[in-house]
Amino acid sequence: MDAASLIMAVAVLSGLYLAWNIGANDVANAMGTSVGSGALSLRQALVLAMVFEAAGAFLAGGRVTETISQGLVSLDVFGGDVLLLSASMTACLIASAIWLHLATFMGWPVSTTHCIVGAVLGAGLAVGGGSALVGDRVAVVGVAWVVSPLVAMWLGHSAFGWIRSKILGRTDPLARLRVFGPWLTGLMVAFLTMGLVFRSDGPADLGLPAWAAGLVALAAGALGAGVGRSLIGRAATAALDRAGAEAPLAERVRRTEQIFGGLQVLAACTLAFAHGSNDVANAVGPVAVAFQGLRAGITEQVTVPTGVLLIGVVGLVIGLGSYGYKVMRTVGREITELTASSGCAAAFAAATTILVGSKLGLPVSTTHIMVGAVIGVGFARGIAAINMRVLRSILLSWVMTVPFTAALAAAMVFAARHLLG
Amino acid sequence: MRIPIGRLFGRNPFPALGGLMESVIACAEEVPPLVEALIAGDQATVIEQAKKISRLENAADAIKNDLRDSLPGSLFLPVDRRDLLQLIGQIDAVADCAEDVGVLLTLRHFEVPTPMAGLLSRFLEAVMVTVRAAGDVVSAVEALLSSGFAGSTAERTRTLIRTLGGLEHEADKLQDQIAKVLFQQEGTLSPVSIFMWTKVLNKIGDMANHAENVGDRVRLFLAR
Repeated sequence: MDAASLIMAVAVLSGLYLAWNIGANDVANAMGTSVGSGALSLRQALVLAMVFEAAGAFLAGGRVTETISQGLVSLDVFGGDVLLLSASMTACLIASAIWLHLATFMGWPVSTTHCIVGAVLGAGLAVGGGSALVGDRVAVVGVAWVVSPLVAMWLGHSAFGWIRSKILGRTDPLARLRVFGPWLTGLMVAFLTMGLVFRSDGPADLGLPAWAAGLVALAAGALGAGVGRSLIGRAATAALDRAGAEAPLAERVRRTEQIFGGLQVLAACTLAFAHGSNDVANAVGPVAVAFQGLRAGITEQVTVPTGVLLIGVVGLVIGLGSYGYKVMRTVGREITELTASSGCAAAFAAATTILVGSKLGLPVSTTHIMVGAVIGVGFARGIAAINMRVLRSILLSWVMTVPFTAALAAAMVFAARHLLG
Repeated sequence: MRIPIGRLFGRNPFPALGGLMESVIACAEEVPPLVEALIAGDQATVIEQAKKISRLENAADAIKNDLRDSLPGSLFLPVDRRDLLQLIGQIDAVADCAEDVGVLLTLRHFEVPTPMAGLLSRFLEAVMVTVRAAGDVVSAVEALLSSGFAGSTAERTRTLIRTLGGLEHEADKLQDQIAKVLFQQEGTLSPVSIFMWTKVLNKIGDMANHAENVGDRVRLFLAR
């Protein structure tokens, strides 16, 4: 086996491990909320997560992958040394895998995005010094890391505030849900469609301009609203019949929440799609560069091969199936107090923020965005109790992750340089 | 396992709040039988009831301490944490007063002047109605939680709090009446008896006062 094949094999295996770890842990965090509120059974959540996660990764995961593979570090610094490039990218994957494995074992809430971005920056610095970094792009990603959780927080706050003032706070929440529920389903379906058809890449690239994509999304949204109208209408009528017109308000609110469970599931599916579209890159971005470098040499533009994206998709799905259900069960058990409406607002806010990040090619931390969204809903008085101590550990692991993976990747690049002569 | 989202959710303190209120009401409900036994001159039952009240107060205290322990400063709640702690304090104070009534009535022999007996029963009933109304307000807090502390649920809670205030006022009026009757007994009752009765009446009245404060604290939840 020559060096190139060996490097490639290690790269693919590390990429698979990263994807497995992301699928096992992070997807479950997103979908587990629906299990916690009782809207989904564990098995249903698992199947839906697999489908939407894979769709997001495969159909909309290319842009962030491009950023990670060539947006942050200028490939020119490798000066045509294909082996060094591939070895460096493999070093990034191994460094991320080591740190992520340690963090997962210890239960630290680290972000896989921070792992891989830190590693890529470290490898770039080791090869070409400061000039290797694409300064403005790195700065944009840094700003996005700070801004995106805040945006999700604001969205979560607004979304729950809207639900409260239009539906839950009214004397007739069921009738209100019948009126406003279809808007919510329409909005979410339109959004998901936009994520599918606009600025998609690789296998799903339809090359639609923004206005055409918008029209398609609008049509899908209208369809979604129509289906939502009939489903929610029927459920609300049945609930009104069963509860009776004289039922106490608390009972009517409870039945409203039951129907909200369906909307929460839709939001969670959108979130899984968004998550797949952003986080698959963390596993396959470096693999794509290594693959392309070895096959075609260092070129200006790295296109993400479908096969490489598939590695990520397969890893994610296996991670979900082999371990994700355990995490989901744990998350579901820990957050039984989350209502369907709060969960829906949080998932919608997080999904929107992440998907916009994906379309802009920004590798954002889905973990931080989800936490931001939940806290936003909390600020709108939608959650019984939020444990703010978690914030400190999240911040701490954020500060720790980037330097650690950067240093580890840099050290491995130096070693590889030495070995490759 | 990395489960930041799972860890983000703290324990919901509001069901335990309802549990505390229930146990405090259960404790307070034993005060009318205590006083009825006193009126009937059944000293053995008086002592037994006082013990029972003390036991129930202890049980409520245990719930209260658990609840307070589950509210660290790092917990972010939909209500101000200090308001919630004060609410817990006021609910607990109802049981404390009930226990004090039991203790006072076992300290020495109490004579119930005949004109006071009927009024005393009515006064106790008015106090208990107030305490139960405070229970309704606390039950409403859980409904408030499910609707984000706004809208029609909040309106309904305000109505319950107003009702509670009115009931406490009724209990107050009865307390004034009974105090007047008490001081009419100046010639027949010893000064120490009158002094002790004043204390007992105040403690019973305080049960209603603290019940009213429960409503006022919940009102702060709505004002945020």
